[in-house]
Amino acid sequence: MTDRPLDPVSRRVFLGTTAAAAAALAMPGRLFAQGSDTIRIGLVGCGGRGTGAARDALRASAGVELVALGDLVPDRLAQCRGELAKVAAENADFAAKYRVTDDRCFAGFDAYQKVLASDVHLVILATPPGFRPQHLAAAVSAGKHVFAEKPVAVDAAGVRSVLATYELARQKGLGIGVGTQRRHQAEYLATIERIHDGAIGDVLSGQVFWNQGGLWSREHDAGWTDGEWQIRNWLYFTWLSGDHIVEQHVHNIDVANWVLGAHPVRATAVGGRQWRVEPRYGHIYDHFAVDFEYPGGARVLSMCRQIQGTRNRVGEHFIGASGRSNAAGEITGGRAWTFESAERPTPPMVQEHADLVASIRAGRPINELKQIAESTLSAIMGREAAYTGQELAWEDVLNADQVLAPPEVRFGPMDVPAVAMPGRTKLARHWNEA
Amino acid sequence: MQRSPGGLLATCGGVLAAVGAAAAGAFQAAASTATYHESIPGTLVTFEMARVPAGQVVLDGPAGPRTTEVASFYIGRTEVTWDMYDVFALGLDSPREGATIARPSSPYGAPDYGWGHAGFPVMSVTAHAAQAFCAWLSQKTGRRYRLPTEAEWAHAAALAAGGDGLDAAEREALVWFRGNSEGRTHPVGARRPDALGLFDLFGNTAEWVTTETGEPVTRGASFRDDAGLVGPEARAAQQPSWNETDPQLPKSRWWLSDAPFVGFRLVSTIEGVQP
Repeated sequence: MTDRPLDPVSRRVFLGTTAAAAAALAMPGRLFAQGSDTIRIGLVGCGGRGTGAARDALRASAGVELVALGDLVPDRLAQCRGELAKVAAENADFAAKYRVTDDRCFAGFDAYQKVLASDVHLVILATPPGFRPQHLAAAVSAGKHVFAEKPVAVDAAGVRSVLATYELARQKGLGIGVGTQRRHQAEYLATIERIHDGAIGDVLSGQVFWNQGGLWSREHDAGWTDGEWQIRNWLYFTWLSGDHIVEQHVHNIDVANWVLGAHPVRATAVGGRQWRVEPRYGHIYDHFAVDFEYPGGARVLSMCRQIQGTRNRVGEHFIGASGRSNAAGEITGGRAWTFESAERPTPPMVQEHADLVASIRAGRPINELKQIAESTLSAIMGREAAYTGQELAWEDVLNADQVLAPPEVRFGPMDVPAVAMPGRTKLARHWNEA
Repeated sequence: MQRSPGGLLATCGGVLAAVGAAAAGAFQAAASTATYHESIPGTLVTFEMARVPAGQVVLDGPAGPRTTEVASFYIGRTEVTWDMYDVFALGLDSPREGATIARPSSPYGAPDYGWGHAGFPVMSVTAHAAQAFCAWLSQKTGRRYRLPTEAEWAHAAALAAGGDGLDAAEREALVWFRGNSEGRTHPVGARRPDALGLFDLFGNTAEWVTTETGEPVTRGASFRDDAGLVGPEARAAQQPSWNETDPQLPKSRWWLSDAPFVGFRLVSTIEGVQP
């Protein structure tokens, strides 16, 4: 069991030399250790990303099959099947792995339970993030390996649940990969390995960004209840997405935690809802800026914005005592270096599935759940520092009595929670309490 | 385009009266050059089109090389800029129009890679998006805009390169390519214009065109291409790698996740006028 993915090259060496010995030690992994048994995959959450993740997983590995699908609503399920059928029609290798049948397609709030009750070995969890803690707990309880999209929670209670699930998965020897694909991207792996080896000296500060225009949104269709609309338009409700700092910018915050080798201990932030104010945009903010303080005093500025017509910037930058780096292929000063690769690498969103399945087959399943839980809570800490207007410490956020989902998640009447108001919004809150 | 490239070098004239007679609305023909300026109604965005004289061009094809006649046409002096494309993509002309026109979806990420926006060429767009922009612009202006045909692009490129093609000094003066681009796009109109008065035809971004059979391909090199690829012959068909990392399925119809080197340029034939 390793908490962090190894460098792909060194993993390849590792797998080649010790796979058999390792397989003898692990329980669920042993089934696949010889590479001869098919790993059956189920997908929970059949939107664009879930469908894409299923495609990526089948492309990534030999000896895998997609056999079951689950989604809340039948139309998304049907759309997903249609898209995957198109890929199958064009690609014989994919077609041989695409084994979904009518009796393994499930719709409804309990669809995830039905997928888990089918004979899958590994489940891809790609619903809106608010459902992730519940789905992760159920999957690990059922003894399934998991690929979980990021983020893995939207509130403090969710992160605590995920950390408990991490421990259970560790005890059971289950593999859990997560959708922070930079951890599986050659430029990042090679650069951060050098940073950890002292190439820019002690890392003193950093800046991480996800500034872009707006994302898709859906108006409240007259045929939908409030609850259905919120779930279909999930990006704009904190109980479903965590707000965009958690849903999207978690990628860059995860890189900061990776480079610093720690999670932040404290955060101060500003943020607001300046441009995206119409009802279709729910109640989330459209910009945040956070000062994260790390152990030892290193500081990282995090900035994220989703406002149309504004300057784009997505990436990271770190300053060390003797050099700088973008964490993704460039080091200047210090031991200056530029990433170069002779071959075009596998896309990281495919590589992450390949690494998970290879680790399961080797009987040494990777478990990335703790690192993504910490990155998710880091982003939540930034969001809450902005929402409340207070300086927040890690332990305060981790232990907060914060549950953002409505008491009953169902289609039907549902209020839109109030927009968070710094100075008034409390860290400890339930559903739509201010 | 809000940035106005100076120093037009027109190679042909004599059509201005006819062009002027066809003009309406925001259409303005320059008095002494074979160009016209167009404004996008409801915005402050303008762009300039330059006339390319009729001629012949030799295109390669499945049946071998053949000569194609090209009628005179107008071509954008620069690649389409983000300033122009944003009006379409972000609904800056009519943001409350509802769903009467299909506009590009919002990208997950930064299709301009954060390299620059105002005055920079649009990039990372699919051929579908480029064609949809042309259709929208035609409706908006009342004048028909479209992608160049491959024959038109090749003909313009042959004239633009001059009789002897581009030597190293001309390449350096005219073209953003790997040797001088620092791996990114640059504002349009920043290098010297070519013999036709056009900017960046051979570099900055490659440009979508339409082949005889209606397939889109790109012509021209881009900021990422080596010197040896820079010239009127540069041509590429879309590869799977151009759109490999789109995390969604279906993949976007509008955005290419891995092709920052692809943009486009407008062509217009003035309806009812023989230049």
